[in-house]
Amino acid sequence: MEHAPAKPHPDAALLRPIENPGRSFYYIVGALLLIISYTGFVYFRQLWFGLGVTGMAQPVTWGFYIINFVFFIGISHAGTLISAILRLSKAEWRRPITRMAEVITAIVLAIGGLHPIIDLGRPDRMLHLFYNGRLQSPLLWDVASITAYFTASTIYLYIPMIPDIAILRDRGVKPRWLYEFLSWGWQGTEKQHKVLDRAMNILMVMVIPIAVSVHTIISYIFAMTVQPGWHSTIFGPYFVVGAIFSGIAAILVLMIVFRKVFRLEGYLKHIHFNYLSILLLIMSIIWFYFTFSEYLTGFYGHEPNEMRVFWYKFAGDFAPYFWAMIALNFAVPVAILCNRKTRTILGILIASISVIIGMWLERLIIVVPSLANPRLPYPTGIYIPSHTEWVLFIGGISVFILGYMIFARFFPVISIWEIEEGRHESAKIVTERITSYMPDPEPSTAGE
Amino acid sequence: MNKKTIEALQILSLSLIWVLFTGIAVWIVSLIRESLRLHDAPDASVGISIVAIPVFFTLASILTYVFIGLRKGRKEESEP
Repeated sequence: MEHAPAKPHPDAALLRPIENPGRSFYYIVGALLLIISYTGFVYFRQLWFGLGVTGMAQPVTWGFYIINFVFFIGISHAGTLISAILRLSKAEWRRPITRMAEVITAIVLAIGGLHPIIDLGRPDRMLHLFYNGRLQSPLLWDVASITAYFTASTIYLYIPMIPDIAILRDRGVKPRWLYEFLSWGWQGTEKQHKVLDRAMNILMVMVIPIAVSVHTIISYIFAMTVQPGWHSTIFGPYFVVGAIFSGIAAILVLMIVFRKVFRLEGYLKHIHFNYLSILLLIMSIIWFYFTFSEYLTGFYGHEPNEMRVFWYKFAGDFAPYFWAMIALNFAVPVAILCNRKTRTILGILIASISVIIGMWLERLIIVVPSLANPRLPYPTGIYIPSHTEWVLFIGGISVFILGYMIFARFFPVISIWEIEEGRHESAKIVTERITSYMPDPEPSTAGE
Repeated sequence: MNKKTIEALQILSLSLIWVLFTGIAVWIVSLIRESLRLHDAPDASVGISIVAIPVFFTLASILTYVFIGLRKGRKEESEP
């Protein structure tokens, strides 16, 4: 069927990356594919020679792979959780942000979820889970919760995309069969809107406990052992707070990049960055409070094994990383974001990158020092990541960038129909809401 | 690709989602049976599965509701 040339759309800026991606898209994809191919080669080398090619050895048997697993899953909290909270709280400024955030979740979860398989050395051992898995083990809870979160996030990303996919279908964008297939006959009727709204309302409520459970359960992998530095009752909420913290930072970085690359200044305004950066500032303070509580209780107990890990982090081999973590997660963002003059787009970018690096260091600080100082009479362990681990780390980041670019090539990164809906209905909805909760004027003064 | 092929693919994808989630439920049930056989904390396994299985089936039900609802809500069917 022939299609008439697409009419100019009021949100043409959001369709431009799909209809006219430009040469630079293909150059960057090519460069990323080269990095990913090399990563694949390095991984097959690890498969061939075994985990001996990594820096992991007794007693430090978890290294970069588990650090990156916890880090990537943490970043995934950016999307669905924050999007669901903003939707539930009817924050109108969410409209240009939610989809960008939701895409992060779907891609990063897939990457993070692969890391324990890489860490196994022999991926065929995953089959043991199916035959001989022990459901009472936190490792299996992780498999179940990550699978549930990945599924829920993907559905939560996809369902609000259906009206936008229909826009692309109706404009005759290629591959048309893909948009036809994914739009499920969307025509924007009242009945269809009702179905979509109802499904999104159920998903919003469902996704929040699933997201919280994911990082809580990841923390249980550590906290349910009696390893010094890990056996803590606040690890669950501490991990969730850290995940949301790093997630917000990741959204901010992506928003700034997309704003610049796709010239979305009209959609991602300073007010969006201001609101999200204040949220980042609050999370930074909450994160510091949890970190302080975690180490203070450990120090006050003064249990000898616990103290070995404590001093290893505070004044030993890991002190530079520990204090860098405090500076990057607390001092830098608080200093930049507290001051309105430095809370500019550049300042927010610096604070967000600082938090992302700081949160990666936090995962390093949690995983390695406890394993390096076990309760058993081992000498203090040494962990130096090998070339293989660095390459797989860079490869993971490249897969994320590639995944996001491919998504942005085929689908709008900002929800077009939600922006249109916001333009027409937001003011009315917000006015009605404010009127509903504001007290009525006193009868004596009402007529004055 | 014609409309009938696309419709067949849509129905196939919905069926596959149910196959996947039923597979996950069967896997979880088999792990409970294993823990019962080994007397290895079956109560914990049952506790986890009570939460996990309904989550997957709810997600599959939401997708089914959306897909069927969107098809039923199309103009040709909504306007007699």
